[in-house]
Amino acid sequence: MAEFPLLTKDFGTQDLHERAVYERTGGYQGLREAFKRFTPETLIAEVKTSGIRGRGGAGFPTGTKWSFLPKDVFPRYLCCNADESEPGCFKDRYLIDKSPHQLVEGVLIASYALQVNVAFIYIRGEYRDQRLLLERAVEEARAAGFIGKNILGSGFDCDVIVHGGAGAYICGEETALIDSLEGLRGQPRLKPPFPAVKGLYGQPTVVNNVETLCNLPHIVQRGGEWFKSLGTEGSTGTRLFCCSGHIKKPGTYEMLLGTPIRELLEEECGGMRTGSTLKAFQPGGGSMQVLLPEHVDLPLDMNEVQKAGSSLGAGAMIFMDQDTCLVDVSMRLVDFYQHESCGKCVPCREGTYFESQLMHKLEAGHATPAELATLSDICANMDGRCFCPLGDTATWFVMSAYKHFRDEFEAHCNAGECPVKARARERAA
Amino acid sequence: MTQTPAAPGPDDGRVGVTIDGREVRVPKGTLVLDAATELGIHIPIYCAHAKLDPVAVCRMCLVHIEKFPKPQPACATTVAEGMVVTTNNAEVTKLREGVLEFLLVNHPLDCPVCDRGGECDLQDFTFRYGPGTSRFPITEKVHFAKALPLSQHIELDQERCILCWRCVRYYDEITGEKEIVLQQRGVQTLVTTFNGEQLKSNFQGNLPEVCPVGALTHREYRFRARPWELQRAPSVCPECSYGCNINADSRDFEIKRFASRDNPLVDDMWLCDRGRYSFPQWNTSERVRRPQLRPRGGEQRDVTAVEAISAAARELRAVVDQHGSGAVGVLGSALNTNEELWLLGRLARDVIGTPHIDHQLEPFEKLDPAEHALGIADIEECDALVVLGAEPEAEAPVLTLRLFKAERKRGARVHRLDHGADPSRIASAVRGAKTIGVIADETNRAHAARVAAAITGGAVRRLTVTRGVNGRGAKDMGVLPGLAAGYRSAPSGKHGREILEAAASGALRALLILGPNPALETAGDVLQRALARADSVVVIDSRPGVCAGAATVLIPGHAFFEKHGTVTNLEGRVQRIRPALPPATPTPTETRVLSSLAAELGARDWDRGEPSAVNRALRAALAPYAAAGNGGRATWVAEAVA
Repeated sequence: MAEFPLLTKDFGTQDLHERAVYERTGGYQGLREAFKRFTPETLIAEVKTSGIRGRGGAGFPTGTKWSFLPKDVFPRYLCCNADESEPGCFKDRYLIDKSPHQLVEGVLIASYALQVNVAFIYIRGEYRDQRLLLERAVEEARAAGFIGKNILGSGFDCDVIVHGGAGAYICGEETALIDSLEGLRGQPRLKPPFPAVKGLYGQPTVVNNVETLCNLPHIVQRGGEWFKSLGTEGSTGTRLFCCSGHIKKPGTYEMLLGTPIRELLEEECGGMRTGSTLKAFQPGGGSMQVLLPEHVDLPLDMNEVQKAGSSLGAGAMIFMDQDTCLVDVSMRLVDFYQHESCGKCVPCREGTYFESQLMHKLEAGHATPAELATLSDICANMDGRCFCPLGDTATWFVMSAYKHFRDEFEAHCNAGECPVKARARERAA
Repeated sequence: MTQTPAAPGPDDGRVGVTIDGREVRVPKGTLVLDAATELGIHIPIYCAHAKLDPVAVCRMCLVHIEKFPKPQPACATTVAEGMVVTTNNAEVTKLREGVLEFLLVNHPLDCPVCDRGGECDLQDFTFRYGPGTSRFPITEKVHFAKALPLSQHIELDQERCILCWRCVRYYDEITGEKEIVLQQRGVQTLVTTFNGEQLKSNFQGNLPEVCPVGALTHREYRFRARPWELQRAPSVCPECSYGCNINADSRDFEIKRFASRDNPLVDDMWLCDRGRYSFPQWNTSERVRRPQLRPRGGEQRDVTAVEAISAAARELRAVVDQHGSGAVGVLGSALNTNEELWLLGRLARDVIGTPHIDHQLEPFEKLDPAEHALGIADIEECDALVVLGAEPEAEAPVLTLRLFKAERKRGARVHRLDHGADPSRIASAVRGAKTIGVIADETNRAHAARVAAAITGGAVRRLTVTRGVNGRGAKDMGVLPGLAAGYRSAPSGKHGREILEAAASGALRALLILGPNPALETAGDVLQRALARADSVVVIDSRPGVCAGAATVLIPGHAFFEKHGTVTNLEGRVQRIRPALPPATPTPTETRVLSSLAAELGARDWDRGEPSAVNRALRAALAPYAAAGNGGRATWVAEAVA
């Protein structure tokens, strides 16, 4: 297929992060065409036609999100969410590393469609190199007249500001991102009002993921209908999957949506490592439910994976082999959420702490069956009760692992040690 | 139980909602929490607070609402037509147990030594809705600082804090001072002061009241009493003329604290620190306890109240007989009740027949009811507010909070200006505003009148901040030269300072002083000379002081928290005060003393002077007070004023 890969097509090109190189590969053509062929309204319609869904995790249709902005309320803001912090997820870093201008172009196209004059790229604090790359790309774009007043003679003004976060997972949640951008504590806001109505500085705001925005130059150039023809009906286009775990070739791979997971695992990732067999995998990053080997024949389709009880989330595939203790993995993930809980609401703040204490006891083999039952009840008391999805998702992996690997959890009770690790040790000996 | 949604009703701006099978129609935009309260259904809350915007962080109020996939916070969800809410099913019971279990995970559970026990929402809701036991397996709780002084008034226990944000929001939304902040995150989150500084606010005493648990406590109240041991007397703060409603909580014949008693029309439940922490002065044992006669040149002796009243009558009659009724000066106080002042005015004018009566030192010219037309709650309706000088807010601090509310909720502009500000300048600054409030203190009444007259193009209303808890009542009751009760014109007389000067020069021969009157004692030397020169000084006072010390007849009075009566605040609101303490002396109340004195002086139609009877008589005589009742505003029409 000539059109595939899409976002990563030119990533092999030397110095693609330079504006001149990016332009030689056809860069900023999307922006030029957006000005030439579209009004903001028709551009929003085109994005709607493409059927593209947000790549940040929730998978909300981007065009629909855009259409929620109230008419005639200005200024409006666009925030590019580059606060990629999902465990196992590193696609945005890859996109920025390789082609920061592709993102800048996407930001500008979205800004034009939404009539935004100031756009922010909120980038994760730990992504220092990527922030510097982006800042440089923005300066280059400004020097070349892609950012600033009357861009390319279109009469459209737009400034792009790169803002580094301070290192909090929660700031990937759109309202927490907005709070952080305003200089407040990064904590989610009460909704409604939704950011589309009252967001950054109390104005209508759209928050889009890096990968979503990177798709825009291609949608503009090739058309929404064409984009829709890629992938499946419910999941159009391509997506970048960050593959990690016990596989031969970990890395980021762009896949046409609808491709079976098996193809990603066996062809792109080179299959499981020698001596490893697949025990379980997590298709959407740290917060999503665990799936079993039988699920590798599922297509990379948001709806299909959802039906299987998980989600493609932010596109992080973590493959685990037979020596992986699911209790251990659960414990580590729970520790992550406990550490990243913003502390705003009670079930998440105290629940993750409670959960983490129980998980440590369980993994060490000191928990009683009653405490295992408590763990499951604690999770039930958190899921759906929290202020934002962070607290809810802190239970999803644990609950799904408990469901699929009940024996393993129960074997930990009063075992005095982790039975899975003990078994692996014995085998090695 | 399946519930049916309420049938749609008429389009009257109200919506029908069904909660636990019962229907109620409430205004659009009402929160589910408030709709439930209307039905008498209790929904436990921690972060929600009637005076603060919702944040929905504690998750205690989650309820089941049909058609919602997840439980919704009642404190932040507005009702919709046909909404069906359940607060009492197994799901809600379980989630409440879950939230309470979470809240107690890192709570120190030190209820036995916690000062909040008995009025702690965490304790109360845990008993009512919580699980009986904890399943938390680890003793490794997160620890924070305990008993951390934040100022001379407030102490913080970070371990007991449940992070409901109320104190942070109080500073953000009510005072705008932002002194308390949240730091760290997750279970390490803690409440502390900005930069570790001490609290400086004049309104920090409200913090323990917004705190639902034992985290923020009053240093002056800690460990002084358990709430169930307190006697609660609903009264009015005696510190200024704003008339904040309080509960005077006492134990063992001592007032232990002033707690707020929400009156949305006056204090909006907030007290200032000056008022709140003024309570210890009412526990003082330094009192006038026995009636005494101290004839000039004679020997001082203790007498009964009846004897003292007879002696007072004798002395006053002697002066009137010898020098005429105009030789008597009568001084009331802004700390007296309306009932006392009403009797004092009648005693002076009708019985003694002197025109020389006042309650303060300065002359008051051209008193106009229009200067109190702007009610406290009306401040929120103003587009622009002009505050002349720092005195209004220094005199009545809680006014500041109402001004901030008008700024925050309505976007009103508050212009705080110097006394010297040019009225036409002010007028141009508020141009375009439809409703304008002009607020000044009593010394700047005339300037405020000029400012109000200069403003054109908007409805202007004025508010004069009177002095003393009942400074307004003293004027309404006619304890003023030239104006009788109800601002009826009376023969002109001397004002306060002139009375003292005339007594000092010998022109007035007798003084009748109803105290306590701290304002009088600021008169200085002239007061001493007046008291020394007068043939007769009849003093009814509760505190030993300059006046009581120089009395020829001294009759003990009752302190503010030992008597019944009404006081009128700066906007004319008539409010009841009630005794929180037993009287320190067995002598009759001031109203009875005044009635007996009148009888001794020959008055026929006076009754025995029970405060309730005096109040009835007062209301029969003054229509605005009859209309105001208890808690309403007495408003005077301009014609009534001479």
